[in-house]
Formats: sequence, structure tokens, C-alpha cells
Amino acid sequence: MSALAYAGVLAYAIAREPAFAAAIAGIGGIGALLLVFVLMGSEELLPWTLACLGGAYALSLVAHGSAIDPRAPLVALGLFMCGELASWSLQERYARATPRAITAARAVAVAALALAGLVAAALVLSISAVPAGNGLAWTVLGAAAAVAILAVAVRLAQRPT
Amino acid sequence: MTRAVSPRLAGYAGLAGLGLVAGLAAGRVELVALAAPFALAAVVGWALGRPPRLEATLTVDRERALEGEQVTATLELVALDGADRVDILLELPHALRAEAPNPRAVRLHPNAPLTLELPLRCERWGAFSLGSALVRVRDRFGFHTWEMHVGQRTSLRVYPSVETLRSLLPPLETQVFIGNRVSRTRGDGIEFADVREWAPGDRLRRINWRASARRRELWVNDQHPERNTDVVLFLDTFTDVGSQGRGTLDLTVRAAASVAHRYLQHKDRVGLVSFGGFLSWLLPESGTRQLYRIVDSLLTMDVVLSYAVKGVDVLPPRSLPPKALVLALTPLLDVRSAAALLDLRARGFDLVVIEVSPVPFVEPGTGELADLSYRLWQLSRESLRARYQQAGVPVIEWREDEPFQVPFEEVAAFRRFAKRVRV
Repeated sequence: MSALAYAGVLAYAIAREPAFAAAIAGIGGIGALLLVFVLMGSEELLPWTLACLGGAYALSLVAHGSAIDPRAPLVALGLFMCGELASWSLQERYARATPRAITAARAVAVAALALAGLVAAALVLSISAVPAGNGLAWTVLGAAAAVAILAVAVRLAQRPT
Repeated sequence: MTRAVSPRLAGYAGLAGLGLVAGLAAGRVELVALAAPFALAAVVGWALGRPPRLEATLTVDRERALEGEQVTATLELVALDGADRVDILLELPHALRAEAPNPRAVRLHPNAPLTLELPLRCERWGAFSLGSALVRVRDRFGFHTWEMHVGQRTSLRVYPSVETLRSLLPPLETQVFIGNRVSRTRGDGIEFADVREWAPGDRLRRINWRASARRRELWVNDQHPERNTDVVLFLDTFTDVGSQGRGTLDLTVRAAASVAHRYLQHKDRVGLVSFGGFLSWLLPESGTRQLYRIVDSLLTMDVVLSYAVKGVDVLPPRSLPPKALVLALTPLLDVRSAAALLDLRARGFDLVVIEVSPVPFVEPGTGELADLSYRLWQLSRESLRARYQQAGVPVIEWREDEPFQVPFEEVAAFRRFAKRVRV
């Protein structure tokens, strides 16, 4: 299912900009190779896989022009589901006799998080469509958010395991 | 408690940051939208990183069991804040087999105790330490994992199953205490021995009136008194030949438990000498407590590698009482035990050697040289047996697939036709 989500997003990126199909497929291919390693047990490669897929989509965006892609939230959902399902399958690999209730609870939780992510992505896209009077304010806000999320990432990476 | 954070969490945070920065740099809001689910997941994952407060107790329904029986291990778990997924693994020794899924996954609701029962089949004898249970707790999305050992270790003793022996090996000489064994000596008893002339001090009730009438003088009956005997189980624990839990030591322990059980039933005194790298002994005693002592000692018996030269001199004299029947269970592989047994015979002990055969556990190699060495090995064993037999010691080979009654019967036959010798 994770591979399906990956393939779906990659296919969409290629279909969106066939002129750059080779470059997009190349980046996506590297990601697919990494996904194979992820599914073989190297979970630490998962962010790189998703980064490759995101990069392939970003290339198609840039190549396509300045028009906003209204399906970007669905692409975000596909990327997120690819990561979550791959990770879930890895965690269940050595587990035996998982009760159905636990599987169902996680499925519901992942679906809820994915739905929330979809809404957030759609919200971001909707907000961008609103004409803003002060462009500088938005730029500062965006930069602050980026810095904050990077700080969170650094803090998480420094946590003792 | 050990905590592990999935690399996915830091990865998601990094992807979110990358998406936002790339979005800003390229002026593409789609990239920001792409980052949104990952940013959300990173925040949720961070918020879920509270260590679980888990309490657990592990109990076993009994401390002793027989081989083949089932015992139940019970694990009670309480999570004060609940836990979305708890994987529990009870670490078991090889001789115990779980008859329910192990490991298993459960979900714990806040403050609601959960009782898990794990039936265990005792497949082999031994003294085991059960637990503690390894518990792994995961949050709902698998971002954080906590591992801990819960519950106290509990002990479980699995006793070997005892083979029923129809008859026992009678000793050549008995002891002075009352028992169930007919002594060779004459005295007060039930079994008729002989008639003899009356002597002053003989009681009236012992007069054989029929013999007295025929001989016209007083003749009395003589009886064999009932006495007990001392049996010393001499176990050779220098070496063990076998694999997958089956081997000469396993057979030795099973046979020793059966023999001790049967002799103690007959009110005899039974002692134990474990002669190997680790030397241990139990002085001969009678009764049920002695049976438990012997079996407990057998359970902890193991082969300890040692190159130290040992003889019977290192044993305390009381562990080998005079006139005791010494029943040696040995694979006849170590020269030290072989020499010690010959020494015992030379000291006048009533010695019986039951050879726990290692031959079924030895795979002869392929090739001419391997075949030759295998045959030489068997010949050297034959020669050792002959040395014992020359000294008047019965050596009976006992194999895994034979009942233990067989060597006893063979020893009885040997004694019937062999003359007793003094070395």
C-alpha cells in the first residue's frame, strides 16, 4: 500500500509535466530504490525517500509554471500515507498475533491524522488564494514558521534515545 | 526503562521544515501544503512522548511440577494513563513451551488492570527461573517506544518423570537398621532360614517341635531378619554426550530419580555422589524429604569442565558408608571416574556399574580413518568393561530406548552366575 501511494504520487508528477518526465522519474526512481530498502528494514531512510518524492513533485511544479496546483493537498496526503504505511508495516514485521482491535485503533488514528493533514494542506492552499494587503507580514510569518519547525526538528534529533 | 524515538519523527519534522523553506524560496504555496501533514504529525508525535506508568506482577501457580505437566504464568498489568499498544514477551527457558501466543500484544485502558494467563508445558526437567517479562509500549502512531522488564523472577522446579521399577537390585549386605530387605544373616525375622540345635537363651516360641520330636532333642528355627540397606547413587558428571536436551546426563538424572524413588519407598537409605568437575554429595538418609533433597540436587546437576585429577579420597567417608550398594551411572568416558570406580571396588564396596551408553548419541564419521577410530573407540570401551568384570563388577550397558528395569535384571543374572571375589 505504501508503494502504491508512492507510485500514485510519482505518476501524477510525471503526468503533470511530461516534458520533464525523465528528470522526475529519475528522482522518483532513486526514492523508489530507497523505499525498497526502507521496506527491507532501514526505517532511517524513510525521510530521504519522501524527500525524493517531494523533490520530484517540486520539479514538476516549477516546470509547470506559476499556476497553483489545486491537487497539492492530495499529493501531500499521498506522501504522508506512503511514510506512515511503510513505517507501520515495518513495526508489524516482527509482531505476532496482533489483536484486531489494536490494528483497527491504529488504522483509525492514522486515517484521522491523514485527514487532519489533508485539511491543513487544503487550508494552506485556501489561505494563499486570499489576497493579502501586506506581503511582508506573510513573508515574516512564513519564515518564522519555518524556523520554528526546524528548531523542533533539531530538538527532536538531540533527544536522548 | 529504555526509550527509543522512531527516526520517522525527526524525519517528518525535517521534511516539514524543508517544505516550508523550499516553499518560501521558490514562492510555491504547494510546497508549504506538502509540508503541512508532516508538521502536524511531528507536533502530534512530540506531544505523545510521555513515558507510560506501568505496573506489573508476574506469578506462577506453583513452584514445582512434573515433567509433561502444565503450569500457568499469570501477568497482571496496570497502566495508570493507559497504553495504546503493549507487546509482552515472557522470556522462557528452552525446556518450557508456551501454549498460548508469546509474545502477544494488548491494549491497556487507564487504571484498568489486565490479567494475562500463559499456560506453559514443562517439556524437560530442571530448575528454572521464570521472568521477568519484557514489555514494549508504543504510542498510537509508533513514534515512541519504551521497553522495560516487569515482574519479579520466580522459580520453577520441574521434576523428571519417574519410571516404574518392578524390582530392585538386592544388595549383597544389609545394614543394622530395620527395613524391608531380607538379610543374609540370621536372627529375629519372618523369613525362615534354617534349623539348628537349641542353645541357652533361645526363646520357647522358636522351637521347631516337629524337628525336635524327630531328633529327640530341642531344635529351633532360625530366621533372616528384615533390615534396610544403604544405596549410594554415584553419578559420573564429568562429561555429557548428546544433543537437543537428550544425552547421557539427561538419562543419568532420570535413572537416578527413578532408582532413588523406588529404594526410598522400600525404607532404604539413599545417598548421592555427583562425581565430576563439580563435586557434590548427599549423605544417605531415608524418607520423603531425602527424595526431595536428591531430586532437587539432580535438577541443578550439570557438567562442569575440569582437568583436576580427582579420586574417591576427596569424598567424605560418611558419604560412602560401609556395606553400601554403590550404583554407578556413568557413560564410561572419563578416566578419572573409571579409576575412582575401580578404587571403590578395591575398597570392598558392593559396586554395580550401569553404563549409560553414549554410543547412540555418537555419529560415526565418514571415511576409512573415521571408521577405524570409531571401531578403536568401541574396542577401548570393551576393554574397560572387561577390566571391571575381572574385578567382579557387573557392567551393564543401558541405552535410551530400553526401560531401566533391564540393567537391573541383567545385574541380578550376573550375580546369580558369578562368584563373589575379594580384590
